[in-house]
Amino acid sequence: MSHHIQEIWQENDRTLAITWTDQQTSLYDVVRLRERCPCAQCVNEFTGERKPMEIDPSVRPAELFSVGQYAMQIHFSDGHRTGIYSFDLLRRLAG
Amino acid sequence: MKWFQKKDPPTVAEVPPQASQAPATPATGTRIRYTLAIASGKGGVGKSTTAANLAFAFAAQGAKVGLCDVDVYGPSMALMTQTPTPTEMEGALIVPPEVRGVKIISPALFASTNKANILRGPMAGNLAKQLLTQVAWGELDFLFIDCPPGTGDIQLSLAQNISLDAAILVTSPQQVALLDVRKALEMFRTLQVPVLGLIETMSYFLCGTCETRHPLFGKDGGKNFAAEHKLPFLGAIPLSEALTQSGDRGVPLVVADPTHAGSQAYFEARDAILEALKQGKGLPPKGLGSFHLKWDPMPEVQP
Repeated sequence: MSHHIQEIWQENDRTLAITWTDQQTSLYDVVRLRERCPCAQCVNEFTGERKPMEIDPSVRPAELFSVGQYAMQIHFSDGHRTGIYSFDLLRRLAG
Repeated sequence: MKWFQKKDPPTVAEVPPQASQAPATPATGTRIRYTLAIASGKGGVGKSTTAANLAFAFAAQGAKVGLCDVDVYGPSMALMTQTPTPTEMEGALIVPPEVRGVKIISPALFASTNKANILRGPMAGNLAKQLLTQVAWGELDFLFIDCPPGTGDIQLSLAQNISLDAAILVTSPQQVALLDVRKALEMFRTLQVPVLGLIETMSYFLCGTCETRHPLFGKDGGKNFAAEHKLPFLGAIPLSEALTQSGDRGVPLVVADPTHAGSQAYFEARDAILEALKQGKGLPPKGLGSFHLKWDPMPEVQP
């Protein structure tokens, strides 16, 4: 089942909210999103293991973009901007 | 600030995109009803032949059609359609040359045919993006994108930067082609680009001297693949000298000889595509489409 974003907004200082096309609404702690970044700088491409790094809890997104019809890219305030969060991943992170 | 009230969340569509960092968007004045990628995993199965014949088959029905070749390493559309080099500009945009009512752009129009386009991935992806976004396509019913073979940089950057409405897979019946088209199908599913269906090319050979359908590359490979993966089967295109010759002469078969069995097969494929689009088969709800959201580091707290 493929999911698309119907609405997306900033809920508060550190929460991102998404309503999906199946009407489910998911809330995301943006610091956790930074910690779960799926990019190759954060996750070992071959083993899938997350590389150890300190994430500053004051990190926030600067901007968020759609990527095609399958993902979202987040530019974070700490300069990290390579993470492409697929809608599938975001649905999994929503639990 | 009204923005952060939960009861009435604003859609990000209301947030103006920033020119500097926003993802690629089609040029102003460009309105395309359906952007359809013609793709396959394997090279040499007749993607460009199919893209050209489909484009002219749709145009024959009066549709406004564009055809964009994004095969930066082996562009063939200029030869296959006798497209002249663009000479007109509309502001910063290239005006696509029009051949028998179809607007056509190909990297071959901007490079010497004898020189190889030696480009690394990011450059190739960027060139493909430019071909689509820096061209004054105007109003189109259909834009066909003739993809290069494979599942690499170009395909990925198309899926990331262009709002593809759907992809049409092309394969010959041969097992070695099916092996690769399976990968292309998986790629489009991963990137959530709906796959409208599959066209089988080289389904059989029409030798011109007898009525026998010679199955040079095996029988029904594409048809069975489509059934196995629950894809609409959009048509079986016979291989013939007329079809390959028409490509080399620069006049697609559907234009050169509309009564030929190959042309008829392309017209049938066109009708199957229209039917699939009409039924919206495999086209999921698209939701918001493209968005760009700026985070407010100090949102006002509601009283």
